[in-house]
Amino acid sequence: MNTLTMDNRPAPAQSSVPAIAIRNLDFWYGENHALRGISLDFPTRQVTGMIGPSGCGKSTLLRILNRMYDLYPGQRAMGEVLFDGRNILSPGIDVNVLRSRIGMVFQKPTPFPMSIYDNIAFGVRLHERLSRADMDQRVENVLRRVALWGEVKDRLNASAAALSGGQQQRLCIARTIATRPEIILLDEPTSALDPISTARIEELLDELKQEFSIAIVTHNLQQAARCADRVAFFYMGELVEVDTADKMFTAPHEKRTQDYITGRFG
Amino acid sequence: MSAQKVQAVATDGWQRGGAQAVRRRIVERLVNVLCAIATVVVLFLLFSILWTLVTRGAAGLSLATFVHSTAAPGSGGGLANAIIGSCEQTLLAALLGTPIGMLTGIYLSEFSHDGKIVSFVRFVSDMMLSVPSILVGLFVYLVVVEPAGHFSGIAGTLALAILFIPIVVRTTEDMLHLVPRAMREAAYALGAPGWRVIVSICLRAARGGIMTGILLALARISGETAPLLFTSLGNLNWSTNLNAPMASLPVTIYQYAGSAYDDWVQMAWTGALLITVAVLATNIFARWWLSRNGTASS
Repeated sequence: MNTLTMDNRPAPAQSSVPAIAIRNLDFWYGENHALRGISLDFPTRQVTGMIGPSGCGKSTLLRILNRMYDLYPGQRAMGEVLFDGRNILSPGIDVNVLRSRIGMVFQKPTPFPMSIYDNIAFGVRLHERLSRADMDQRVENVLRRVALWGEVKDRLNASAAALSGGQQQRLCIARTIATRPEIILLDEPTSALDPISTARIEELLDELKQEFSIAIVTHNLQQAARCADRVAFFYMGELVEVDTADKMFTAPHEKRTQDYITGRFG
Repeated sequence: MSAQKVQAVATDGWQRGGAQAVRRRIVERLVNVLCAIATVVVLFLLFSILWTLVTRGAAGLSLATFVHSTAAPGSGGGLANAIIGSCEQTLLAALLGTPIGMLTGIYLSEFSHDGKIVSFVRFVSDMMLSVPSILVGLFVYLVVVEPAGHFSGIAGTLALAILFIPIVVRTTEDMLHLVPRAMREAAYALGAPGWRVIVSICLRAARGGIMTGILLALARISGETAPLLFTSLGNLNWSTNLNAPMASLPVTIYQYAGSAYDDWVQMAWTGALLITVAVLATNIFARWWLSRNGTASS
């Protein structure tokens, strides 16, 4: 199903060129040195899973990629995060444009206090001027894309708060892809959902990676094994190792990785 | 503990605790009864006020109350000038105070990284909440009435607005704080600039609560007497001119209730009933509005 066509988009990059390349990244929460010397590539149109015990820095890393940390004084990053030829940490970057190109889905579903339709149109209107018909089309496309159209097409003007948790999270994903990002960041997107809703989101990820590069933080190792092409293991602010999901879960190089995935700590 | 008692505890788990459990039940019963008594006292006071107002005030209520202005003792008259004066000053104060109060509340809630300035503004605003209202009246007298050389509706409006603003500041800030951080971040994550997040997401999420705060503040100032005594003074004739002394219900009640004329005292009761009903209606409407539009999170 390719209802959301990405015209005006440069031809798909070769898989050897990463969507995002992190080089020697350090991050501080005030005095707390939360990430140390991270270098990591996010391959184009693949799912990169980030795992590790609580507080290891994986969510912190995700929030650097769309400069979310900018909202909080006292948080600062050093190093390079290369995206489309520029270091997104440099001061000249327009964070609003950056965030429209690198979307984010959060742990808890966060529908805005408005209708289902406006939840999607809100983000689009920030960056594009569409006619009513084009906007209707966009809304329908992304809702179909996340398999929500059938459930909500008769109540697009109803409040988004009335949807179930799983529906709300799919709405949030639809809202994110509606601004046509190149990369989607997901921060434990299913940890607040029941197993059935979780399964639907995981199926959705499989489909979305045809078109988007995806970075997902998860506490659920099975989820990482099921969804991710590559998995990065973080521990105490350091990237311990990164490899294909197969290798990470069957034959990790590092003892710490092995200890974590076999449940010896974390 | 005697052997027999140990036996009892061992054989019947439901008897555990013994004397302690009995005492706990007594304390529980006692607290329940005290709470109930306090509630009854409060309700009794409220309803006795209402009952007195209705029985005494309704007697003087007629069409004349709404169409005639105040008149000399013994010559009838109504409260039309006081009603229009109250409405005019209260609504203008609300119109003046709402944007100032809301913008300040937004500043306190959303730009709180300027730590020192914000806590100073919040402190001043909280002080204003508890300043005796007569001081506000005297303040406006000094800065507006005295320089202008005469009492005026404008001065009354300003005094009421000064009382109105801190209430709106406080509610706006509190309601915005209830908007989940995740919702803000989700809006920023779509590439929304800060002002857009505040206007389209935060204020929208908090609108029910803020609206309620504004209505409650309106109810509060519509009953204020002291700030109007030195500012709009009162006016025995029909006047909507803001640059002249202006009548109001609370001040009329204050003047009439202390007078020696029976029909003026009666009029004071009627005015008191009108104000109470208006305030009650505003409160009830505000609560209904809040329950319908929900709190910040939903």
